[in-house]
Amino acid sequence: MIFYSHLIEIESVIEELDKMDLSKEEKMHLSQLLDSSLHHTILDAIFSQLSEADKKVFASHLQEGHHEKIWKFLNEKIDHVEDKIRAVAKDLKEKLHKDLKEAKKIK
Amino acid sequence: MNKFTSKKPHFEYLRNKWGSRAKAAQENFWDKHSNALKHLALGSIGGLILLSPPGGQLPNTHLLASSETALKGFDKNVLLAQVLSAKVPSEVRSLDVSEEKDIADILSSQFGFEVKAEIDNIRLNRSYGLIGGEQHLYRYPGDNLYAHVDTSSDWAKYGDAGIAPGLGAWGYFALSKDQFSEKDKQREKYYIAVPTFLSPGFAENFGKYRDFFKYRKMLVVNPKTGQSVVTVIGDAGPAEFTGKHLGGSPEVMDGLGLATGPRKGAVLYFFIDDPNDNIPLGPIKVRSELS
Repeated sequence: MIFYSHLIEIESVIEELDKMDLSKEEKMHLSQLLDSSLHHTILDAIFSQLSEADKKVFASHLQEGHHEKIWKFLNEKIDHVEDKIRAVAKDLKEKLHKDLKEAKKIK
Repeated sequence: MNKFTSKKPHFEYLRNKWGSRAKAAQENFWDKHSNALKHLALGSIGGLILLSPPGGQLPNTHLLASSETALKGFDKNVLLAQVLSAKVPSEVRSLDVSEEKDIADILSSQFGFEVKAEIDNIRLNRSYGLIGGEQHLYRYPGDNLYAHVDTSSDWAKYGDAGIAPGLGAWGYFALSKDQFSEKDKQREKYYIAVPTFLSPGFAENFGKYRDFFKYRKMLVVNPKTGQSVVTVIGDAGPAEFTGKHLGGSPEVMDGLGLATGPRKGAVLYFFIDDPNDNIPLGPIKVRSELS
């Protein structure tokens, strides 16, 4: 489980992908790209709000994978951190939906 | 990234577009924050794992982490497979009480918690059998397949299994989406179906047995590889005519290394004595001091 999964709704993107004619391998490939974009975008949003010292502490918490610790730290260091994560994810999702729309037009 | 060819223009479009997007997001992140992360990257391979996209992999900085992730839950349990090979019969048959005890003792010692074929004089019809892949289960009214995944990689891996038209033996995992908890989520994710109705004494003690089996924790072990998953009983089945002795959710089958090909294989399955609910569900490794 990823520490931010409860904040991110990707059902709508997956639903659109699922409607496309894709092999298992193609699904895996696109999914990895999607997850990677989302992951790095969210990490960037968080890291950009932290001092250099706090980045190191946060990275250590991530390494341990202790979600309670991660969220305690983030809530102490960043105001409205959940809203910020939701906002960047929403922004990315909108771009992905546009891409999907374009892809569907291609014959 | 995987190299394969596709002649589908819509796929190629998305591959290019999302490939560039993923690469840009990754490069942007490392350009801005690599200074603060140097100590992790230099200090340990494990340090890079946290920066790997969940369930996937990208080149360069992620290669080492991906290799380690791919071996997780497998390499450390190989020793368990070696120990079990001397005890588990080559033929998939019911174990006798003495074999069950030997194997339960090995598993208890390797995992560090009590594993038993029988608790409170209740046992299943067998503890070694063929497991087959099951579908996802509806977790609450209005649930759908897309809502089951945390990442799109989960969907690509487990989505094909589909969702069973009927409910599991215990009904919904939660009465509504609002009441649906992380615990419920984990239970559906790591559920097994066992023929509770074939356990000795079931008909005479229906209520007692039903309560006993409901979400009862079980350790499922692939004796060939040592891959092991802590699961709960989430459904009753399969029927005897299927030739299978139990079923596993898509995630359980994946954790056992049985998600591809025929999606079935021989496994050991024993109750976990965990009255305080301390042992988390999901793939599990043998205790590190033993590996």
